[in-house]
Amino acid sequence: MSNNDALLEVENLCVEFGDRRGAVRAVDRISFEVEPGRTLGIVGESGCGKSTTSLAIMGLLPRPAGRITAGAIRLSGTELAGLPENRMRRIRGAEMSMIFQEPMTALNPVYTIGAQMSAVVRRHAGLSRRAARRRALEMLERVGIPLAQRRLAEYPHELSGGMRQRVMIAMALSCRPRLLIADEPTTALDVTTQAQVLEQIKALQRDFDTAVVLITHDLGVVAETCDEVVVMYCGRMVERAPVEALFSAPRHRYTEGLIQAIPKIRTRRLTRLPVVPGSVPDLSELPPGCCFAARCAHADTHCLRRQPALERMGPSRVACFHPADAEPVR
Amino acid sequence: MEILKYTLRKLAGGIPLLLGVTLVSFVLMVYFGPDKTWELLSKNPTAEEIAQVRSQLGYDQPFWVRYGNYLRELATLEFGYSDSTGERVTTILQRTVPVTLALLAPGFVLGIVLGIALGLLAAWHRGGWIDRAVTGLAVVGMSVSFLVVIIAFQLLFGVVLGWFPVRGWNVHDLPSYLHYVTVPTLASVFVALGYNTRFFRAVLVEEMARDHVRTARAFGASPVEILRKNVLMNAMIPIVTRTMFSIPLVVISGSLLIESYFGIPGVGKVTYDAITSGDQPVLKAVIGLTAVMFVGILIVNDILYKFFDPRISLGRTALQ
Amino acid sequence: MSLPVHDINPGADARLQPVRRPGGISPWSRAFDRLIGDRPAMAGLAIVTVFFVIALGVWFGWWGGKWAETGDGQWLPPSPEHWLGTTILGQDIFARAIFSTRTAFEIGLVVAAASTLLGALFGALSGYFAHTAIDGLVLWLKGVLDSIPFYLFVAAIAFALDGNPWAMHIAMIATFWTTTARLVRGEVIKLKSLEFVEAARAIGLHPLVILFRHIVPNTLHILLVQATIVFVAAIKSEVILSFLGLGVQDGVSWGLMIAESTSEVIAGHYMNFIAASGFLFALVMGFNLFADGLQDALDPKRSGR
Ligand SMILES: Nc1ncnc2c1ncn2[C@@H]1O[C@H](COP(=O)(O)OP(=O)(O)OP(=O)(O)O)[C@@H](O)[C@H]1O
Ligand SMILES: [Mg+2]
Repeated sequence: MSNNDALLEVENLCVEFGDRRGAVRAVDRISFEVEPGRTLGIVGESGCGKSTTSLAIMGLLPRPAGRITAGAIRLSGTELAGLPENRMRRIRGAEMSMIFQEPMTALNPVYTIGAQMSAVVRRHAGLSRRAARRRALEMLERVGIPLAQRRLAEYPHELSGGMRQRVMIAMALSCRPRLLIADEPTTALDVTTQAQVLEQIKALQRDFDTAVVLITHDLGVVAETCDEVVVMYCGRMVERAPVEALFSAPRHRYTEGLIQAIPKIRTRRLTRLPVVPGSVPDLSELPPGCCFAARCAHADTHCLRRQPALERMGPSRVACFHPADAEPVR
Repeated sequence: MEILKYTLRKLAGGIPLLLGVTLVSFVLMVYFGPDKTWELLSKNPTAEEIAQVRSQLGYDQPFWVRYGNYLRELATLEFGYSDSTGERVTTILQRTVPVTLALLAPGFVLGIVLGIALGLLAAWHRGGWIDRAVTGLAVVGMSVSFLVVIIAFQLLFGVVLGWFPVRGWNVHDLPSYLHYVTVPTLASVFVALGYNTRFFRAVLVEEMARDHVRTARAFGASPVEILRKNVLMNAMIPIVTRTMFSIPLVVISGSLLIESYFGIPGVGKVTYDAITSGDQPVLKAVIGLTAVMFVGILIVNDILYKFFDPRISLGRTALQ
Repeated sequence: MSLPVHDINPGADARLQPVRRPGGISPWSRAFDRLIGDRPAMAGLAIVTVFFVIALGVWFGWWGGKWAETGDGQWLPPSPEHWLGTTILGQDIFARAIFSTRTAFEIGLVVAAASTLLGALFGALSGYFAHTAIDGLVLWLKGVLDSIPFYLFVAAIAFALDGNPWAMHIAMIATFWTTTARLVRGEVIKLKSLEFVEAARAIGLHPLVILFRHIVPNTLHILLVQATIVFVAAIKSEVILSFLGLGVQDGVSWGLMIAESTSEVIAGHYMNFIAASGFLFALVMGFNLFADGLQDALDPKRSGR
C-alpha cells in the first residue's frame, strides 16, 4: 500500500471518543494517500467521522475525550501520531494547514485581520513585523480580496462570510504548506461565493503544488475538484476510488445510492449529500456485520453477520459483499 | 469626539436610574426616616415651638420639595452634621474614604487576580483532578461566612499567633501599613476567592471552547499565546464587568464588616456606627453616594466595553 | 436492481438524523437521572435533609426547646449534659444551635419562596411584554434595587419600618428577586416565539393565560435553581445582619450566636462561635453542593465537563 511519492499517508487510522462508561470508535481503519498537487475528497453523511479524521491528522482531537488508538499518519515520512505537542506546533500552519467549516466564528474577534495573519507568518517564517505585513497583504490580494490594504486593519466582524473564508484560505496558505485540509470550506457560504472560494483554493494549489484533502457534502464539488475520493460510512471507509471511476462505476451500494440520487439535469449545485433512505446506526451500537446492511437492498444474512474487508475492484477499492456490477464475492 | 458623544448618551441613560436610586433612599431614609422633632425640643414644648422646629427641619414641606432638597444635598455633597458626633458629614467622609481605599485595595486586587489565575488553572485542566480540586475548594470557600472568616483570622493571626495587630489603624509608613492591612486583606481574599474562581472558571471554559481557539491551535499558536490572545482578551468583558461591579460591594459590604470588627476608622466603621446609633445624616450620605457611585460604574463599564470589544459600535448599547 | 432513492430536494437539509432511542425521555427525568448520579449533589442533599429534620423537630417541640433556659454553670466545657458547653448565662449551646436551625429554615424558606414568586412574576411580565413600558418599568426597578448596597438597603428599610422584626425579610425579598427576574425574562423571551405559544395565541387565549399557564411553568428549572441559591444567600445574610443589629430581633439564630461570640473569643470562650459557624457552614455547604448539582443536571452544558 505504501506509496513513495505520497505526501500524506494515513494508514489504518482509528480514533475513539470515550468516557468512563465506554468508548465509541468514530474513525475505524481509514487509509489513504495524497500526492503533492493532488486533491483527495472525503464524503459521507453527517457524523461519519470526516472532521474527526482531519482533526486527527492535525493533532487537534479534543482532549481528553478523543484519541488515536491505532494506525499511522505520515507527512513526508514523518510519523505524526504521537509526535510531541511542541513539534506538532511547528508543523501546524507551516507544513499543513486547515480551513474550517464555519468562517463566521473561526477568527479571533478582538484582533484585526492583519494582526492575525501576521502572527502566523511571523511565528513560522520568522519574518519581521513589516515583512509579515507585506506577506499578509500579498496573500489577501492573491485570494482576490478587494481593497486588501484596508482589510488588514479591519476586524473579522466587518467582513462577510465569504471574505472571512478567503482570509482563512490566505492565512492557511501564507506559509506555503505542503498539505491543506479543508473541512467543508464552502458549506456556510452562498452558491456564487462557494464557486469563487473553491476556485481560489484550486488556483493556490496549482501555484504552490499543495496537496489538498477536501471534505464536502457536495458531489458536484467532488466531481470538479477531486482526483480521488474516499466514501465514509459510520467511521469506516466503504469505498475509495479515482473520481472518474466513482461516478461512472460506483461499487459500494451506498455510493451507488448517492450517485443515482444526483438529479440528471443539474440546475443547482448540490450543497447537501443526496438522500439515501433509512438512518445511520448509532456509533455506540454498531451492528456486528456491514454497518450499511440495515439500509441496503442487497443485504443478506451474511452481510448482517460479518464485516466486509476492503477489496480491490478495478481502479477502486470497496468494502462490500455484493458490490455493484460484479459477481458476488463469495 | 464620537467617544464623547457615546459617553454623554450613556450619562443621559443613567439619569432615570439615578433618580430612582435617590428616590428610594430618600423615601426610606428621609421621608419615612426617624422624626427628629422631639430631640430638638425642650421638655414641654408649645405647639408653636413644635411647628418652628418642624419647619426648621423642613418637615412641613411637600414631598417633592424635600426630595429636591435631598438631591441638592447630594449634588453639593452637603449633608449636614452627624447626629452623634456633630461633625460635618462631608468632613467625616473626606477623612475616612482614603483609609477605606487603602485598607481594601490590596484584597480587592488580589481577590480578582488570584480568582482569574485559579479559574484559568481549573479551566485549562477542565474535567481533570486539578479542576475538581479547585472547584471543590471554591465551594468550600463560598460556604464560609465572611463574618466567620474575619473572626477566625483575627483570632488566629492576632491572638493565637500574635503576628498582627488585633485592632486599630496606626499607619504612618509602608511597614506599619503592611502590618495593619495584612489580616483584613487575607480575610477579604479568602471570601472573594471562592466566588471569583467559580465565576472566572465558567467564563474561561466558555472562551476556551470557541472556534477561534481551535483555529489558533491549527496555526501552531503556543498555549501561552492562545491563553493571552484568544482566551483572556476575549474574556475581558466579563472580567471587567465583574471587577467593576465588585467595587461598590467591596467598598461598602466589605468595609462595613472589616472596619467595624478591626476597629479601623474608615467609611465602613462610620456607617456601622451610623446604623447602630441611627445617625441619619451619615447614613443618607453613604447610601446616596454609593448609589451614585454604582450608576457611575455602570456608565464607565459601558464605555470600557468599547475598548475591549471592537464589535460594539458606538451607537449600540452594550447592556442587554 | 438498485437501491430505492427519494426524490431529492437540494434546498432541504437532507442530512440524516441519527436513530433516536425509542420512547421519548422527558428532560426532567433525564435531569433527575443526572442528579441522582452526581455524588457531591447527593451528599449535599443528605446534609440539607438532616438539617431539615432537625428544624422540623424543633417545630414539633421534640428538641431544642430549652435553648433559653438559663442555668447556674456559666462557660461550662462540653460534657454529657451540655454537648457543646454553656454560655455566659449557663444556656446550653447545643440546644441554641439546634433551635437556630429552625430560625435559619424559616428565614431561608420565606425569603426563597417570596423572592422566587416575585422574580417569576416580574420576570415573566417584563419578558412577555419585552421592550414595552411594562418591561421598562421592571428593568428600571431592578436597576434601582441593584444599585443600592444590600446591607445599607436593609439598614434603610429597618429605619423606615422602625424596628419591625420583618424588616430583614422584606429587605432580602426586595433585593433577591432581581436576579431571578432577569433569568426568567430571558427565558420567557426565548419561549414566547416558540410554536406552542403561537398556537395558544392563534386559538385566542388571553395573553396573561398564555403567560402564566403555558410559559411560566416552562421556566420552572430556573426558579428551582434560583430558589436554592436565594435560600443560601438568605441564611448567610442573616448572620451578617444580626451582627449589624439588623437581623433576628427575638429568639436565637446562628447570626446572633456569632455576634455574641465576637466579644467572647478574645477571652478564650470558643464554643458559641464554633457551634454556630460549624452548623452554618455545614448547611450552606450542603445547599451549595446541591444547587450546583441541580444546575448541572438541568443544564449539562454549564459545567463544561
Ligand atoms: N468530542 C467528542 N466527543 C464524543 N464524540 C464525538 C466528539 N466529536 C465527535 N464525536 C463523534 O464522532 C463521530 C464523528 O463526528 P465528526 O464530527 O467527525 O463527523 P463529520 O463526518 O465531520 O460530520 P459533519 O458532516 O456533521 O461535520 C460522531 O458520531 C460524533 O458523535
Ligand atoms: Mg464535520
